[in-house]
Amino acid sequence: MAAVVLSEAEKVYIVHGIQEDLRVDGRGCEDYRSAEVETDVVSNTSGSARVKLGHTDILVGIKAEMGTPKLEKPDEGYLEFFVDCSANATPEFEGHGGEELGTEIASTLYRVFSCESNVDLKSLCINPREHCWVLYVDVLLLECGGNLFDAISIAVKAALFNTRIPKVRVLEDEEGSKEIELSDDPYDCIRLNVDNVPCIVTLSKIGYRHVVDATLQEEACCLASLLVSVTSKGALTSVRKVGKGSLDPESIFEMMETGKRVGKSLHIALQKILDEEESLGTSRQKVGFLG
Amino acid sequence: MLTSRTFLKRTRAGAVVKVVREHYLREDIPCGAAACSLCPPRPPGPGLGLQAQPNGASSSLCPGPHYLLPDTNLLLHQIDILEDPVIKNVIVLQTVLQEVRNRSAPVYKRIRDVIQNPEKHFYSFTNEHHRETYIQQEQGESSNDRNDRAIRVAVKWYSEHLKKIEDKEKIQVIFLTNDRINKEKALEEGLTAYTCEEYIKSLTANPDLVDRLACVSDEGKEIESGKIIFPEHIHLSKLQQGIKSGVYLQGTYRASRENYLEATVWVHGDAEENKEIIIQGLKHLNRAVHEDIVAVELLAKDEWVAPSSVVLQDDGQNEDEEEKENTLKTSVSKDMLRPTGKVVGIIKRNWRPFCGMLSKSEVKEARRHLFTPADRRIPRIRIETRQADTLEGQRIIVAIDGWPRNSRYPNGHFVKNLGSAGDKETETEVLLLEHDVPHQPFSQNVLSFLPKMPWSITEEDMKYREDLRHLCVCSVDPPGCTDIDDALHCREIENGNIEVGVHIADVSHFIRPGNALDEESAKRGTTVYLCEKRIDMVPELLSSNLCSLRSNVDRLAFSCIWEMTHKAEILKTRFTKSVIKSKASLTYAEAQMRIDSATMNDDITTSLRELNRLAKILKKKRIDNGALTLSSPEVRFHMDSETHDPIDLQTKELRETNSMVEEFMLLANVSVAQKIYDEFPEFALLRKHPAPPPSNYDILVKAAKSKNLEMKTDSAKALAESLDRAECPTFPYLNTLLRILATRCMMQAVYFCSGMDNDFHHYGLATPIYTHFTSPIRRYADIIVHRLLAVAIGADTTYPELTDKHKLADICKNLNYRHKMAQYAQRASVAFHTQLFFKNKGVTNEDAYILFVRKNAVVVLIPKYGLEGTVFFEEKDKPKPRLDYNSEVPSLTVEGTTLHIFDKVRVNIMLDASNIQHQKIRMVLVEPKLLGGDVPATLSTEISSKNEPEKKKKKLQK
Repeated sequence: MAAVVLSEAEKVYIVHGIQEDLRVDGRGCEDYRSAEVETDVVSNTSGSARVKLGHTDILVGIKAEMGTPKLEKPDEGYLEFFVDCSANATPEFEGHGGEELGTEIASTLYRVFSCESNVDLKSLCINPREHCWVLYVDVLLLECGGNLFDAISIAVKAALFNTRIPKVRVLEDEEGSKEIELSDDPYDCIRLNVDNVPCIVTLSKIGYRHVVDATLQEEACCLASLLVSVTSKGALTSVRKVGKGSLDPESIFEMMETGKRVGKSLHIALQKILDEEESLGTSRQKVGFLG
Repeated sequence: MLTSRTFLKRTRAGAVVKVVREHYLREDIPCGAAACSLCPPRPPGPGLGLQAQPNGASSSLCPGPHYLLPDTNLLLHQIDILEDPVIKNVIVLQTVLQEVRNRSAPVYKRIRDVIQNPEKHFYSFTNEHHRETYIQQEQGESSNDRNDRAIRVAVKWYSEHLKKIEDKEKIQVIFLTNDRINKEKALEEGLTAYTCEEYIKSLTANPDLVDRLACVSDEGKEIESGKIIFPEHIHLSKLQQGIKSGVYLQGTYRASRENYLEATVWVHGDAEENKEIIIQGLKHLNRAVHEDIVAVELLAKDEWVAPSSVVLQDDGQNEDEEEKENTLKTSVSKDMLRPTGKVVGIIKRNWRPFCGMLSKSEVKEARRHLFTPADRRIPRIRIETRQADTLEGQRIIVAIDGWPRNSRYPNGHFVKNLGSAGDKETETEVLLLEHDVPHQPFSQNVLSFLPKMPWSITEEDMKYREDLRHLCVCSVDPPGCTDIDDALHCREIENGNIEVGVHIADVSHFIRPGNALDEESAKRGTTVYLCEKRIDMVPELLSSNLCSLRSNVDRLAFSCIWEMTHKAEILKTRFTKSVIKSKASLTYAEAQMRIDSATMNDDITTSLRELNRLAKILKKKRIDNGALTLSSPEVRFHMDSETHDPIDLQTKELRETNSMVEEFMLLANVSVAQKIYDEFPEFALLRKHPAPPPSNYDILVKAAKSKNLEMKTDSAKALAESLDRAECPTFPYLNTLLRILATRCMMQAVYFCSGMDNDFHHYGLATPIYTHFTSPIRRYADIIVHRLLAVAIGADTTYPELTDKHKLADICKNLNYRHKMAQYAQRASVAFHTQLFFKNKGVTNEDAYILFVRKNAVVVLIPKYGLEGTVFFEEKDKPKPRLDYNSEVPSLTVEGTTLHIFDKVRVNIMLDASNIQHQKIRMVLVEPKLLGGDVPATLSTEISSKNEPEKKKKKLQK
């Protein structure tokens, strides 16, 4: 991952600050940087969102395509994740450089969304065993400024909230042959319920304390961090440890508690923003990439 | 300003795709009104835009100056009205134009032509790109509603915009729509809106327009009144599912000429069984019209019927239809039964405007009348008109608008009056329309691709051309020919051999692939020659001037040059684009005269003599190979120079020079065919003539046998030889008769694409490969061949469609169809002029030979006029004569008198004009005299006063 090189003195400065609940940019340990969220930024997707968290810049596009349901879940649709680490973000990603990170993030997303109750996959089914909607979630990293996972999960949730799947009807005649009919009205579409879509909260252990939303500098001081995915109700859906250091069970427990607490407020803030944007309707002035 | 349009669509593979298109909105789109000073000036183009002082017809509803703005449905249904010269100053919105384009290509083309016409002052306003008239689809709004709203927004914009123009008189915009809801909404918004009917009726100066309104009423209204006669048609999407699953069969509906209650459906596809399905009875026919694409459902096997041999004419009276239907159900043996079905839905209507005549209603002052089309396969059409008195006895065109379930006949509207029946121009127009010959003048768009005059050959043109202007080239054609597409030359070269060149007009130089001119020529396919009219395939500037290889002017040509020995053996063949300067344009007679007269020894004459000598050798070789020389009498009329009525009729004379030109054309065609096939084995456009199945020759063999002659038909060569041997010293005309008969046994020659077929043989000419290269002015096939050859020799560039064998196969299909139709139209024209001739001549008696013997009639040929006719022995309302038919000999014994094939008889010829729509030549046997009650000689006078005979004769079509 894109890393910054810090001198020993700088590290000590950061660690000592955190010890005092005061981070370099003035935040407390459980504070997020201010985030910018905008949905519907790519018009030829079914749903899209762009999230800027500090210097981290993420674009998520979701495309709904018709496919066949998986054999083991004949009456459900499914999600596919793909993460593209653009060389825009950092020169290290050039060529195949970003692939490893991309796969890692994608597999994390699969795990986070593996819980049944996260997205109502049954609503994605068109007719069992034959047709379902497949949501291709494409994540594009535009800039890395620390705390990629959280930013990506926020963007994915916002994009899912924004997703509009065209309504189709299955016409069946006497012989049993099925015909799929597309609705004439482009406004006639399915919205996904995102109430249970989790967000990732990354807790980085720095010194004796842990912080959320670490910057690149802070990440450089961190030996081990814990990724927890939390729903808006505070339920944990997955936990993962990253980094080469180790964590003792006591602190893991503590971190999970923090994660739940922070996660809940994160969901509330995000939902508020999304609803606000939604209420503006088509009159909203789009910011896009020029803003 | 930029916005984007987003829509969803289903791809063929079944996926749903979201498509986003950029959509630019502008502020500089002019409103088109000439008096408008607010808008930027209109870019130059065809059409003149709207007039400052609209001078269209005055309307009592809206006496002031006004522009019209129709909606989509109105445009689709009432295009006939909008094309009338009275209707001017119409704004056609882009929204409307696009919807029309999606729904009906022919109407779209027509409206485009109207917009281009500077006299009509139609203006197409691109409202979808105008900043103030563009709207987005709203939530809960269907795309139709959105378009309706877009139209209303544009109307509103126009009315406000025109108010701003500082002018003495304010111009109004009138919104025309037949949609009740749309009209109400428009009125709510304060717009001026009328239905088409309201507006047209208000044009008090032009009452005749009302007749041409298409009668499309609201669907809902119809079901309330009248009893329902027909079962409902199944919806298209259901039909398609049914066809996929095999419940229904899709096919082309062909109504029967003889029986209006019967039709056959030719099922599409390659299925072996159920190829032809019989449909019987009004309910089963279910409002299908001839040539429609329909879906049929097969009936159970115990309901199958046999094709009935009854002749039934729809006489228009609403008598008991069921009773008639019962007459169809005669008991027949099991093996006569054919697959029978019923029409369940229409996949595609193939309605076109139909020619015919009005059958005036017997009720006085009635406005609803029935129209009887000239084509018997088309049902009668109910139209509404107030000018029935003037239309009686006129040939008119009527279009079908719809066929509701409770109506016995389809509803239609009057389109055009062609003129009185029997009139020469009218009848020519009718036969062109009925044979689907495109004969409208070339549109502005097509003409815009013509070279600009004065035209001259440029340096650029010379790049890939050889300069052959020094050669002594001349052309030989029939008298009065203005589209000369071939010329010849012949000279001795240094090594003692002879160089012969065929130079063909380089039409493909002027007609570039893909432009409107090319498309129009491809559509027309061929030039149609009628007795006194020529329907050109390419505009006159090309056909009679720039492409015509006239004498003493530089012309572009495509040359095929051979080096031959004095024995006409080809040593070398080469093709090149060239420039030639013909030294003389001769007629066949002039050329013949030069060859024959010993005193003339100039360059032209000597080369003609040499060509003639070579042609004879070539011809002999060809005949030795087994080429057939067949005969079909061709008729030529001598026209009165004042009235253009035929005053004499004679068969065409053939001279040596005809055969000379023909021989070299054949040689060029064969050489070119070989060359393009070698170069493009998959994409060569060739012409083949399949060998007829042996059973076709039965009639010829039998006929020859009756004269003690033997016909060998196992090969073309054998046939040619037996025909040559078939001479009878006492009956010199026999040989010609046999050759005429042999012609009738042949198959039709067709164009095809070499990649789609593997039988290339040309039976009649006895060549393994053949194509058409020598008449590009009058045949489109030749243009394609020219392009192929030009690519093959590197003189021109190729284009994608040229090497697409499916596209080529489509072209061939159209060409074969047009070619056939042109032939039919030609014959119909000859038949009509023959009728005119005999009308002027009165009743005559002529010598004739019996050509065919039928069960109840004989077909005779009158050599003097090359005229063929049928002599019937059965008359309606007369006791039937005793007829005895012997199919072996063949002969027919009528009341004791036996008639054999080839018997010489004398017939009485007269014109039967009792049915004005189907006039015909009537022939009655005079010699030998028939015994029995009805002596035909006296019969003739009776017939003319009698009603039209019920029994319809088939048209005399070879």
